Amino acid sequence: MSDRLIQLGKSLVIRNLFKNFGLPNLPQELKRSKHPWEQHPLKDQVIITGQIRSSKLTEAIAGTVARLGATALVDGDETIFNIFHKIGSGYGRLPHYLSDEDKPVNPFQAMIYDATDIQRPEELNLVFSFFHDHLRSLSTCGRAVIIARPPETMPDIASATSSRSLEGFIRALSREVGFNGSTANIIYVSPDAEDRLESVMRFILSPRSAYITGQPLNISNQVLMNEPSASIRPLDRKIAMVTGSAQGIGAAIARTMAREGAKVIIVDRPCEEISAAKLASEIQGTLLLCDITDASAGNTMLELISNKFKGLDILVHNAGITRDKLLVNMKSEIWDQVLDVNLRSILRVNEKILPVMREGGRMVCLSSVSGIAGNRGQTNYSTSKAGVIGYVQHLASDVKERGIAVNAVAPGFIETQMTARIPFATREVARRLSNLNQGGQPEDVAETVTFLSSPGASGLSGQVIRICGGALIGA
Amino acid sequence: MNQKTITPRRAVIIGGVRTPFLRAFGDFTPLSTIDLGAAVVKGLLNKFPIAWKDIDSMIWSGVVLPSDTVNIGREIQFDVGLPMEIEAFTITRVCTSSLNAITLAASAIERGEADVMIAGGSDSTSNAEVKMPPSLVHKAAPVVLNPKSTVRDYFRLLTSLNPRKDLIPLRPAIRERLTGELMGESAEKMAKRNQISREAQDAFAFQSHKRAAKAIETGRFSEEVIPVQTPGGKTVFTDNIVRGDTSIQKLSRLKPAFAKDGTLTAGNSSSLTDGASAVLLMDEAKARSLGFTPIAAFRSWSYDAVDPTDQLLIGPAISMPKAVSRAGMKAEDIDMIDIHEAFAAQVLSVLKMLNSDQFAKDRLGVDKAFGEIKPEEINIHGGSVALGHPFAATGARMVITMANELKLSGKATALLGICGAGALSAAAVMEAV
Repeated sequence: MSDRLIQLGKSLVIRNLFKNFGLPNLPQELKRSKHPWEQHPLKDQVIITGQIRSSKLTEAIAGTVARLGATALVDGDETIFNIFHKIGSGYGRLPHYLSDEDKPVNPFQAMIYDATDIQRPEELNLVFSFFHDHLRSLSTCGRAVIIARPPETMPDIASATSSRSLEGFIRALSREVGFNGSTANIIYVSPDAEDRLESVMRFILSPRSAYITGQPLNISNQVLMNEPSASIRPLDRKIAMVTGSAQGIGAAIARTMAREGAKVIIVDRPCEEISAAKLASEIQGTLLLCDITDASAGNTMLELISNKFKGLDILVHNAGITRDKLLVNMKSEIWDQVLDVNLRSILRVNEKILPVMREGGRMVCLSSVSGIAGNRGQTNYSTSKAGVIGYVQHLASDVKERGIAVNAVAPGFIETQMTARIPFATREVARRLSNLNQGGQPEDVAETVTFLSSPGASGLSGQVIRICGGALIGA
Repeated sequence: MNQKTITPRRAVIIGGVRTPFLRAFGDFTPLSTIDLGAAVVKGLLNKFPIAWKDIDSMIWSGVVLPSDTVNIGREIQFDVGLPMEIEAFTITRVCTSSLNAITLAASAIERGEADVMIAGGSDSTSNAEVKMPPSLVHKAAPVVLNPKSTVRDYFRLLTSLNPRKDLIPLRPAIRERLTGELMGESAEKMAKRNQISREAQDAFAFQSHKRAAKAIETGRFSEEVIPVQTPGGKTVFTDNIVRGDTSIQKLSRLKPAFAKDGTLTAGNSSSLTDGASAVLLMDEAKARSLGFTPIAAFRSWSYDAVDPTDQLLIGPAISMPKAVSRAGMKAEDIDMIDIHEAFAAQVLSVLKMLNSDQFAKDRLGVDKAFGEIKPEEINIHGGSVALGHPFAATGARMVITMANELKLSGKATALLGICGAGALSAAAVMEAV
């Protein structure tokens, strides 16, 4: 499963050799974090910040940068600098002023641009010059983030147009910075949801979001927030259930959630008993062997949850299968099987489990880039995974009053046993068809799902987060 | 029901003494931490003549502890000759140790566990232990402890030893185990992050030296410092680190001690020191019945910790406001402030954070900063930069100085703040009795 090109690219000599011979860039090994969530994930790093003008979010951004443990390099006027200075001084993180004689020696880890106050398309030029001037100093595995208001909440047509333009900008930018492992994303913050921005920024700016790039995230205040966000041990005292978690991505999710304090119920088929039991003892989890396609599966789960735990906080619908065939060759059984495991079982299980989900609960369903873009030979799989998207979008508004957030994640090419079985040539193509020129790791999905399950993710609901390294196909 | 009004017990400070604080490897080198402790407890009992049988308990503290007798408190008690039936134990809580010994004693008295207690601390950095590498022990122990070992086994052991890895003694650990940083390096980072200039640090150090020198000259410390006899027959009367003749120019010429382009120097940092301090505490009613006049008491205290990888020594900026609010007071109710000076940069960083609304909001959950405190408003008789810092004697020194000052000046309240290794911190509010 190891990616030879990444191994090759670790050597600076070989990287330069490739560069000098005009060969395509070797993929950059992504910086990831295997440690539990930390108080200061960007300790002693430099973040450059820019903005159209000072906005309602300037203080929030200044606070976020300081609380991440980073030093701000402010590209802006004196008013902006003073805001950063006032807030940074409370953390011993005084900002630097971007001026010619004070150019940073080291490249910066992240670029944050606050475009919440964009009014006219002419102001897009400011966005252009900010990124144009400083992009070269962005370090490898850096982060470029634009913060904006959702176009539909903008007061007039000029501002809505400009705000929407930014998404195109960031998508294109993500294709340009990917070669050195950097990502670019845009965060749309609804008015009055500003207090939910920080935890999303913590995630996006940290190494935990390594394989998420080129996409918008929408932060709204529709979900009732009944718990403050936590920067460490976010899942303490939480009960989480992960289906299909004996191995692969599911096991990674279970491990990551346990690491952050959750009590995890590992659900898988009885034939996976050995690996599931090993995992359960490794993470002190609870084992539940049942086939989710059984009509009684929901009841079995309900029984365990209500008898042993008196409620459930987190539910991850991860179990899924592929049975690829061209449509004309596809037998109705495998069509049916894929839809049953990947989609219909979610509906059946939720019917039983949703009523016992606690307030402030979180649900994450595994979709797929196939469900967004479609894939040859996967009509059954794409149908089921697209259905999942529709499902979370609708369910999100049904349960928002209970403080429950429902999201889907759509992994692209992830290095698992499933993708290791793909023939070499196809696999190599699939791997490279992304901005980051490489496949993702199960941990990338696990970290994202864990973040979406944390109290701080209350701003995100009814969304599909792609974990695809900016796949060239798909939205 | 038969209702009785119970007047709550209150622990009071009768007084305290300390040894002179001497630079490590000076006249106190032959004295172990137990010897220093015994000297100071003897001095305390001389100064406050109490029937020894009336003493209930003793809490001692130390930071650099001898590994063969960790409970140095009990040993000190034996060396002083106190009755064996008095119980004694030893605590260690980095630089807050002796303040902790004193507040533990106050709690015990207020809970009714004891009426009369001695609390204090001593440290002899000159006698820090130098250890052999554990690998030597792991190789040698199986042979030495086995009675059946033959000469051949010993010979094999000798040939198996690696002179470089097994036989070179380990330096005492002075780096933070978590970060691998010297405390000065951490303080250097704090100075940089909070933009504390070299000039400000030197000015503060100058103030510390001047004030300490003046306190010695005017006899202000004669109330608390006892003479100590060394085995060589010499009697030491005063602190020897204080430089009354220093000047800003002299301080500004010193080279940075912890980083090439740094701002911390030997002049604006506290140095390795030998010394001991002890305090006598009693229940207030008991004190009056024994004919003692209490001089001060504690209103509140707070022990806290922060992230050592962030700002190692910023803790007092959290502990001090917490202790004050626990006392039901506000910053303006405090008459005197005494902050332990590990480094001038650390004190100035703490003062900066105490004046930051953002810090108050984020770290203390209150809207307003504690308040602006100018460097010249604190440490009226200097601090650890000038006097030195025998780790476990500093907290008690501050308590003694402030208690005496409350009595002399007629002021009502004093606030103490101490930072320590591992990013621990402590603060206490004292009031005149």
